[in-house]
Amino acid sequence: MTPIAMDTGALVRGLYCILPEMVVIGTAILVLLADLLLPEEGKKRLCHLSVAGVAAAILSALWLGPGKIEGFSGMIVHDGMGLFFTLTILAAALLTLMMATGYSEWEGTQKGEFYALILLSTSGMLFMAEGTDLMTVFLGLETLSIPIYCLVGFHRGRMRSLEGAMKYFLLGAFSSGFFLYGIALMYAAAGTTRIPVIASMMRDARLYGNPVFLAGIGLLLVGFAFKVSLVPFHMWTPDAYEGAPTLVTAFMGAAVKAAAFAALLRVVLLTFPAILPAMSGVLWVLAALTMTVGNFSALLQNNMKRMLAYSSIAHAGYILVGLTAGGVAGGQAVLFYVLVYAFMNLGAFGVIMLVAQREDDGYDIDNFAGIGFRYPVLGGLLSLFLVSLAGIPPTAGFVGKFYLFGAAVRSGYVGLAVLGVLNSAVSVYYYLRPVVSMYMAPAPEGIPVPRPPRSAFSFALCASAAAVLLLGVMPASALEFAERSVLSLLM
Amino acid sequence: MNGPSDFIFYAAAALTVGSAILVATLPNIIYAAVALLFAFAGVAGLYVFLSADFLAATQVLVYVGGILVLILFAVFLSNRLADVKISNPGHFHLPAAAVCLVLFGVLSYTAVSTPFAVKTAVYLPTTADIGEMLMTRYLLPFEVASVLLLAALIGAALLSRPERGTPEKADMEEGRG
Repeated sequence: MTPIAMDTGALVRGLYCILPEMVVIGTAILVLLADLLLPEEGKKRLCHLSVAGVAAAILSALWLGPGKIEGFSGMIVHDGMGLFFTLTILAAALLTLMMATGYSEWEGTQKGEFYALILLSTSGMLFMAEGTDLMTVFLGLETLSIPIYCLVGFHRGRMRSLEGAMKYFLLGAFSSGFFLYGIALMYAAAGTTRIPVIASMMRDARLYGNPVFLAGIGLLLVGFAFKVSLVPFHMWTPDAYEGAPTLVTAFMGAAVKAAAFAALLRVVLLTFPAILPAMSGVLWVLAALTMTVGNFSALLQNNMKRMLAYSSIAHAGYILVGLTAGGVAGGQAVLFYVLVYAFMNLGAFGVIMLVAQREDDGYDIDNFAGIGFRYPVLGGLLSLFLVSLAGIPPTAGFVGKFYLFGAAVRSGYVGLAVLGVLNSAVSVYYYLRPVVSMYMAPAPEGIPVPRPPRSAFSFALCASAAAVLLLGVMPASALEFAERSVLSLLM
Repeated sequence: MNGPSDFIFYAAAALTVGSAILVATLPNIIYAAVALLFAFAGVAGLYVFLSADFLAATQVLVYVGGILVLILFAVFLSNRLADVKISNPGHFHLPAAAVCLVLFGVLSYTAVSTPFAVKTAVYLPTTADIGEMLMTRYLLPFEVASVLLLAALIGAALLSRPERGTPEKADMEEGRG
């Protein structure tokens, strides 16, 4: 038989297009090798190596720029939206790894596998965010999920950690099944798994009303809903978030959500306009349910990690409001909010990581009583992040919600926007509860002494705080970047 | 097509569905695993009918030969073989039945009402074409899959290996946290 013709130019272009992914994967392999060579006391170098690798990946992504580069015969594309999500995900990974400098010392996660899994998961997220073929998206999803399952169960001695990992793994495996079944049905109807090709077929209304295709989209949506924890597919979230090592929880909330929304946005913005009447109703109900159930469940929590888990469900609902609105305005709002949420979520988890001394009961809200005046910097930072999560000006959370609900109103979903605002009002109660506890509750006998942060940890916290404030006061350039990214996708 | 090939098709389909029902309902997990073997074999037969020879062979090698053996090993080697009655109990029959019925309704409706583009089966070897596609058009998914396997390997080693410095016994004991 004839030898396979290799197009060297196309291959090189493809490799150039996945440069950030390759840097991250390369770093993961380097970390594993270095783990073998380094002596036990030198293991903290692994963390530095991972931070350097992610920083190099950020630089390479910036070097690629916002221009559109397609690679591997249209399997992956580095466009404006890909760049936006790549930077968001890599920034989240960078902050997580910087916090790991301190966290690993306290909790014994100073292991090569820990960092390698975080890096491999990050590479999966990047593939997912830039994939233009459902196959790439699915493999990216699995590559991001499997390391996270393992990381959730990292503390094997703790029952909660194992329980969370088990629930997350089983439900995640089922959701992957739904996702794949959806892709298979869409392929059966359309004869292709390329998202842009499917989208152009939808415009010709060739697929419009094809039951197999609709069933496929529905199952795909179920798979996504599991990953971004939309109600009623959110059951795993509180247990997985509570059981996971706090650092991993922070990473899950910030980066996994960003990657899943990146792929969802690509599918929704490109393919849904044609079947909008059917789909917008579904998204409307999902968004309304997710916001309401997330917020009202968060009201009842006494554990900070659990509360932030329900809050992350609620925030997925807010982001879904932007998706329901659709179009350029909705897409822009979603991008901006995903970025903002990554910073405020990482920051909040970073502070509570410092205050809590023990994994399980150290995260009770009562444990935060009285630390506000005793440790003014920590108290101030946590208040800032919680206020931003609640969406109070002048923080970035306010700007983000303003644009999300604004996009919904402009697209005619006034009811959904009102529901979102009401939900935000409810959420203020539980976000301010720890703040009240920090500043007004009488301090107990022995106020827990927070762990002394490492310099990289402090830098990560300050950077998140600066980002939350800057994006709140001067959001213009980030919003413009987000708008250009969405436009580059829709062109 | 009719005659013997029709008969064989329905036999393979019946084998698949019947064994799948047994997997879900048999109370003994070993029996369920063996029933799963027949379900997998039936699916391999269906692949043959779709002229997917490579998939059929892979199905036998990977699912029957690999995954099923793995499941049996997992059952045989799991820690508490002696004191836990290995069973496959079912809970929440009614809600599960409702969900399954709805899903069945949706899927059978879509299967019946969609005009599929039907192609007459051409029985030619597909392996070379699949290999070429994997190396050209689907090169990226192929490579990402290798990253995925690496991650799974590291994760599995991490979770199953006894921790350094702690006694091995504490590994699977609950209630330490």
